[in-house]
Amino acid sequence: MRFLMTTKGGSRTPDAAMMAEMGAFIEEMTRAGVLLATGGLEPGGLRMVSSGGEITVTDGPFTEAKEAIVSFALIEARSREEAVELARRFWKIVGDGESAIQQVFGPEDGPDAGSR
Amino acid sequence: MTSLDAHRVVDAVWKMESARIVAGLVRMVGDVGLAEELAQDAVLAALEQWPEAGVPDNPGAWLMAVAKRRAVDHLRREERRDRGQELLAHDLATRPDDGERDVDDVVDALDGEVGDDVLRLMFVSCHPVLSTEARVALTLRLIGGLRTDEIARAFLVSESAVAQRIVRAKRALADAQVPFEVPSGPERAARLSSVLEVIYLVFNEGYAATAGDDLMRPSLCLEALRLGRVLAELTPDEAEVHGLVALMELQQSRSAARTGPSGEPVVLHEQNRGRWDPLLIRRGFAALLRARQAGGPLGPYVLQAAIAACHARAATPEETDWPQIAALYEALVRVLPTPVVQLNRAVALAMAYGPRAGLTLVDTLTGEPALKGYHLLPAVRGDLLARLGRHGEARAEFERAASLTRNTAERAVLLRRAATCAGEEVEPAATETRPEAKPETAEAEPAAGPADGGVTLGKAMRLFLARPGLSAGTVRSYDQTLARLCRHLGEDVPLRDVTSHRIAEVFATAWGTAAGATWNRHRAALRSFATWAAERGWGPADLAAPLDRRPEPRDRTRPIDRSRLEILWERPDIPLRERTLWLLLYESAAPAEWALSLDVEDLDLPGMRGEVKGRRHWLRWQSGTAALLPVLVGDRRRGPLFLADRRPGPGRMPAATDLCPHTGRGRLSYERAEYLFKRATGDLDPEGGGYTLHRLRHSRLAHLAEDGWSAPMLMSLSGHASARTLHGFVRVPRPADTVA
Repeated sequence: MRFLMTTKGGSRTPDAAMMAEMGAFIEEMTRAGVLLATGGLEPGGLRMVSSGGEITVTDGPFTEAKEAIVSFALIEARSREEAVELARRFWKIVGDGESAIQQVFGPEDGPDAGSR
Repeated sequence: MTSLDAHRVVDAVWKMESARIVAGLVRMVGDVGLAEELAQDAVLAALEQWPEAGVPDNPGAWLMAVAKRRAVDHLRREERRDRGQELLAHDLATRPDDGERDVDDVVDALDGEVGDDVLRLMFVSCHPVLSTEARVALTLRLIGGLRTDEIARAFLVSESAVAQRIVRAKRALADAQVPFEVPSGPERAARLSSVLEVIYLVFNEGYAATAGDDLMRPSLCLEALRLGRVLAELTPDEAEVHGLVALMELQQSRSAARTGPSGEPVVLHEQNRGRWDPLLIRRGFAALLRARQAGGPLGPYVLQAAIAACHARAATPEETDWPQIAALYEALVRVLPTPVVQLNRAVALAMAYGPRAGLTLVDTLTGEPALKGYHLLPAVRGDLLARLGRHGEARAEFERAASLTRNTAERAVLLRRAATCAGEEVEPAATETRPEAKPETAEAEPAAGPADGGVTLGKAMRLFLARPGLSAGTVRSYDQTLARLCRHLGEDVPLRDVTSHRIAEVFATAWGTAAGATWNRHRAALRSFATWAAERGWGPADLAAPLDRRPEPRDRTRPIDRSRLEILWERPDIPLRERTLWLLLYESAAPAEWALSLDVEDLDLPGMRGEVKGRRHWLRWQSGTAALLPVLVGDRRRGPLFLADRRPGPGRMPAATDLCPHTGRGRLSYERAEYLFKRATGDLDPEGGGYTLHRLRHSRLAHLAEDGWSAPMLMSLSGHASARTLHGFVRVPRPADTVA
């Protein structure tokens, strides 16, 4: 199963040591095939609204800096619990923060997806 | 902690860590069976302690530390009992105090060597003293961390069979005193190829899974990929390991495209390449690149991966570089000279240089004992013959292929191709030559009627319906069909004189304009009757041959055209309440009852959603509804969102929850809402009656499905509890019980 982990703005800025540790972690997870894609996100970005067939594009920022999603990771795990364990390792490196984990449905996921 | 079940957490951590833990333990105690027992002790300890004390900070290290402590205890006992055993004494001497160290130290101490231990464990699990089945089971168990029951489900065998396999395998390893090491020299290559073989076997087993199989089966592919990636990391210089990983990544990238809506296999050149997974393709290319960087002669896995990469690179089947693929197969034949590879090469040659080039090679393979009973040989040959216009021979080959395959979906495809060939074949001489009715066979029932003129239609029909085992419903249904035939053709007409032509006339008169389902029901009754009668030699079996099965709409709820809905939305004269309700139904794809049950206080206007109380479901709308809702709500703060036109009369007072505290009006009823929608859409509906609210909702689902939404997405939006009710909109993987 694939899961998308998104993290919101953290409290502390990463230092060199954390960056190195994170780099090694990402490399390990990528090689193990667990991490499919990851990246940091600009805090502002663009906002698009489609309404009545009309599309409007406005500049960010999103509501509050704390609420903005700042990074994502697409992971391949055997179970929800495994995804949580992987995220736990992530937080051990990063420290404080908040993240969400959601299963990504694919064409192979039937109605029972996630209940194995 | 969240609501995650501690057992499942233990299981997840175990799966992630088992290879490292067991490998470390085997190095300590020197025996795979014992190591696994010790590891299982640690898992048991976790199951006891984690639910109480919570999951530890570093669950993997916790398991490892406990397991190692158990191992040390065990070794001390052994040593006391048998001081003569040098090996154990040596181990103890070199690692005296592991048990006393704290968790972090254990992890630190192991980190350097654990990778090598995992590699050793892989080589031991795939040791040639074991049968292939045992290698597979042991590898999944020890490296993959799968439970016995999971392996059993994945391979469709009993749990006890797997357990026995594993027990015997461990014993065989102990008996043979297989050393815990990565072999060197010439042995290394042979042993490595055994490891690769086991991993690819696991992958293929998962690849062979079909719709409706236990979910464990397809997940074997992912398990194999995981094993392959672990191995690739431990042996970065082995080109073949990267080749295998590349091959699996590339094959797995097609997993969504390689089966059709009803589980039938879709061949490569007919697959929707838009459904190939670009992430996995990219990973496959990267692995292939690493294989090339590792150097050395091109081995079978690298070559197969290179072939798969050729396909992955082609955006359309026409862009496939067939000459390149044929060349790669040529190289593959040299390192892997099997008839199956030759057969594949023949296909590539045919694609690159025409069917004749392929057929020449295929014809050299027909005598191969290894391909005897292999359905793809006649299938390929049939395909090439058909392309050369030799339809008669092609048809025979397809039929042979169909009789050889065990996969029902595949068989259907092959028989369809055979039928197509048959059509091409007989076209010039399509006159009907009805085979003579077979003479009465010995088992003809004695009561069957006059021996000379044969059995009459009426008599046969009565006997047919009087058979034991038919349900009353079936008898009634069959009787309708057969009685109609009797009326038109006469009860006394001998069955052998009834022609399919006459039957077709009756069908056309009686049910020619009926719905597809009705037609098909009568047709099925006739076919059943004809088969039964033919078995007794009373009449031709193909009485129903000219009657084609008619399409039945998969779901009675057909979607409303998008263009018609556009017209509806643009009408200026629709009252606000109706417009809001209809848009809400369309945008949320929710049942009308749910929308009508909404109260003002259930709405989350900024979140564009409303809670359906009692269903624990959030109904989500979009911008169209969002723009209208505030106007419709006005300053109401409570009560039903959609209100009836008038206040209820006395004596018809609804429940308080269905009354608006602000206006005193009741909740808009389903019947009324339905009536209003039907009336408003009467002129849009080509059938004139107007559309139902149900159909409006389903239109949305159909439109979304057309736009590529998957079943789970639709279900989460619409609140359809079961994917089966979504049939007809989207491709839904079928649950096991509906698969024949």
